[in-house]
Amino acid sequence: MNKEDLEKINSYLTFKLGEEEFAAHVSKVLSIMEMVKITKVPRSPEYMQGVINLRGQVLPVVDTRIKFGMSPTEFTANTCIVVMEVEVNGEYVQVGTLVDSVQEVLEITEDQIQPPPSIGSNYKSEFIYGMAKVNENFIMMLDMDKVFSAEEMMNVQASTAEGEKQETSGEQSETAASESSQ
Amino acid sequence: MDKFKNKFLEEANENIAGLEDALLKLEKAPQDSDLVEKVFRHMHSLKGGGAMFGFNQLSDFTHHLENVYDRVREGTMEVNQGLLDLTLESVDHLKNLLQQGDELSGDMATRHKNLSLQVKKYLESGATPSGSQSQPSSSGSQEQTYYIYFDPDEDLFDNGTNPLFLLDELVGLGQAFVMPCLQGIPLLAEMDPRKCYTHWEVVLATTEDHSAIHDVFIFVEDQARIEVQKLADGNLLSNETFRKALEEKYHKDQDLGIDAVKGLVPAKDTGTAAQSPKKGKQSNGQARKDEGIASIRVDSEKIDHMMNLVSELVTTQARLSLHAEHSENNELEEIAENVQKLTRQLRDNAFDIALVPVETMITRFNRLVRDLSNSLDKKVQLQTEGTETELDKNIIETLTDPLLHILRNCIDHGIETPEERRQAGKPEEGKILLKAFYSGASVHIQVHDDGKGIDPEKIRQQAVEKNVISPESQLSKKEIFDLIFLPGFSTSSNVTDVSGRGVGMDVVKRNLADIRGEVEIDSEPGTGTTLTVKLPLTLSIIDGLLVQIADNKYVIPLSAVDKIYAANHSDVVDTFNNLIVLDGERIPFFYLRKEFNMPASDSNTQEIVVVQYNENRIGLVVDTVIGEYQAVLKSLGKMYKYQDMISGATILGDGTVALVMDTNKMIERFSSDRQRMTNVESQKK
Amino acid sequence: MGKNILVVDDSESIREVVSFTLENEGYEVKVGNDGKDALKHLNGDPIDLVITDLHMPEMDGIELIKEIRNKEQYQRIPILFLTTESQASKKQEAKDAGATGWIVKPFVPAKLLAALKKVMR
Repeated sequence: MNKEDLEKINSYLTFKLGEEEFAAHVSKVLSIMEMVKITKVPRSPEYMQGVINLRGQVLPVVDTRIKFGMSPTEFTANTCIVVMEVEVNGEYVQVGTLVDSVQEVLEITEDQIQPPPSIGSNYKSEFIYGMAKVNENFIMMLDMDKVFSAEEMMNVQASTAEGEKQETSGEQSETAASESSQ
Repeated sequence: MDKFKNKFLEEANENIAGLEDALLKLEKAPQDSDLVEKVFRHMHSLKGGGAMFGFNQLSDFTHHLENVYDRVREGTMEVNQGLLDLTLESVDHLKNLLQQGDELSGDMATRHKNLSLQVKKYLESGATPSGSQSQPSSSGSQEQTYYIYFDPDEDLFDNGTNPLFLLDELVGLGQAFVMPCLQGIPLLAEMDPRKCYTHWEVVLATTEDHSAIHDVFIFVEDQARIEVQKLADGNLLSNETFRKALEEKYHKDQDLGIDAVKGLVPAKDTGTAAQSPKKGKQSNGQARKDEGIASIRVDSEKIDHMMNLVSELVTTQARLSLHAEHSENNELEEIAENVQKLTRQLRDNAFDIALVPVETMITRFNRLVRDLSNSLDKKVQLQTEGTETELDKNIIETLTDPLLHILRNCIDHGIETPEERRQAGKPEEGKILLKAFYSGASVHIQVHDDGKGIDPEKIRQQAVEKNVISPESQLSKKEIFDLIFLPGFSTSSNVTDVSGRGVGMDVVKRNLADIRGEVEIDSEPGTGTTLTVKLPLTLSIIDGLLVQIADNKYVIPLSAVDKIYAANHSDVVDTFNNLIVLDGERIPFFYLRKEFNMPASDSNTQEIVVVQYNENRIGLVVDTVIGEYQAVLKSLGKMYKYQDMISGATILGDGTVALVMDTNKMIERFSSDRQRMTNVESQKK
Repeated sequence: MGKNILVVDDSESIREVVSFTLENEGYEVKVGNDGKDALKHLNGDPIDLVITDLHMPEMDGIELIKEIRNKEQYQRIPILFLTTESQASKKQEAKDAGATGWIVKPFVPAKLLAALKKVMR
């Protein structure tokens, strides 16, 4: 199936970060990997977990929890790397995202999706474009492209280039981040 | 044929570049006959190739140019500025012709006409040997019978000719009756086996015409007596009576002669004897198509692909070695070792294929310097050194434009007018020296001019005006010069149409960064400016030193590594000034665990990898040095775009990822961090 | 068994076209970039035919032909030269040096093979 056909269907991969359930459209998902050793890249923002070997290519891995403003991922047997292809500045980039556990592939139709709650959320909400109610559970609908949008990438730049300086964007400065993660 | 065409295009471009180069040199040494010969040869190749691959306009045009230089070669014409200008203009036109092919339109057509006219005029009234000749049309379908007499000279064999092949070919033209005449063969004792004693008579019935028969003997025309006469229309050999009579007569007395053979022809069949052998001229080919031809030229895409495969092989080989080591199987280890050796050779070989000498860019530079200095009324000489230095093809491609820009700057802003130079007590002619050389695993290209140089104070002022720096900031000379590479920063107060094209040094720096290159400026006001471009040798594989820091492995490019020392843990942590004495020399060092924000090691011993950083030696403290490693460099990708201390990653034999350090960038970063820290500390006090 | 043909030309495209055509016909082809370079194949290696350009750097075709004829082993092998136009003087010079025949550039494979047929089987 090609990408365009994929985008038309209503299938979503759901996964958990902590107790919350999130969904990403299957057209964004390339594969799901078990945890492997992640090589940390020094002096990079904390949510950039490092790089792994994906069939001979180097794949960056992002700690989704930190990215969403939650506490860093604690590795368990259920921790997975979801390999996604996202669009950044018009270019497709492959990236691994850490999730606490992968749930299932669900059909979610548009009428099931409601606008996101505007307040009272304990994670960054700008990546969430809606909420779906499936079997009495609320699922956060993720806009994966936005997660890695240009603006976000600029933050990567800011925090790598001026790690020691004041944090500007709500990202933790790398020094502090690294200390807390070790 | 089309596939060959690409190759021709590539080659034609080389020829044009070579031509241009030779012409520019000829301008300086108009009497140099070797250069004239070179010019001639490039034109000659262009002409031949052009005609062969359907570039008839180009071929014709070059033909006329070639004629001019043929005269020069003979000494009946002189090389002068007028001719060189015309030829250089023609070279530009040739480039266009190569792009456009035979379909000329509008301006190009006019230009082509004008230039052709000028070139022809230049030849003056001298008869121009014309290259185009039409081929006499052959093969009327009517079958005719010929008598052929072929008597080669005795020394025919000396030229490697085998007359039997010619007879064979003749027979191939139709139906033939061949009568060797052997009576000339001497007795065995007197015979010289190197000589040809035989001659032949042939009766041939063929649909081919007279000239086709002559063409068979074209190589031996001057070494044999050849007669071709028409005996009759139609095929006499199918006439039983004639054939029988001929056979009988031949067996009786050989060497019949035309008259005797004619006598055998039935009366009504006798035709007129044809005459006048023609030299075979071949038509200039219209783009002729040939089937079933595939190029065996390796285009750059294939090279890239090969490099990728080699990279994969290197990675796989590393895995094999690792497994072999753990297997305790001697035979396997031996095989793995061999594979390693072969892989290394293959890798080096593959690299070599992708390397191109700096020389290939020089002609463009010469041309730029010539044209630009002329239009600015400046006298500039470009000298080159070390142009045999080789670089990855992809690097050279990206490098040309930035270097052209740098040269443009040199001539436009650097070198003064002859008048200014005289007043400054300099020779009127400015000099630009382009120097390429290896420095470790990088190649440096230096462009030095002896022009007016750059005044750091002026740049400082400009930077303050543009709010790039605050008026009170203290900058070193190097830091000031680095400002030139900031976007939108131009030192020239008046923008000329030469360098003021909106492309600044920031673009140069960015373009170079794409190929992991760096650029630096140094200048002495009044005496000149030096730009140094530092480039990696290759983009894909590096020889490195594999080291361990905490639970991660890193690769340090071997080229940067000076020496490895063991050290006590206590010597490298909690030291006041980060200096350690090694071999009696005080060497600043960085404890990488600390710099990478990792907890200190609990091991008592550490290893220090001393690397070269500019002119200094700097120690990098790691946990352990594992050994040498060939790293296939993979990009960290867009997400790590701003991570410049790490130039990439490589996949190890066990499938994990090791990071490849860019020691220069890393040390640069650490030093500036440290400086900032010290500043903060001192401010606190 | 394939005959060995040595192709000498400073133009790579010509070398390629010639080599390709010949290899297609089942000949073994060796190449030289110029006369000097070609000589490396003429040290005892079996060569059944030489096809050479006349204008070349280092050592031109005429000189190469002379060199070949000076070697006992190659004294009688056929030598064809490539020439751009039917320049009579050049042709004569090459023949005097010992060339067997010539091929006029530009040529199509068929013409090359035709010339070949005259001097070798």
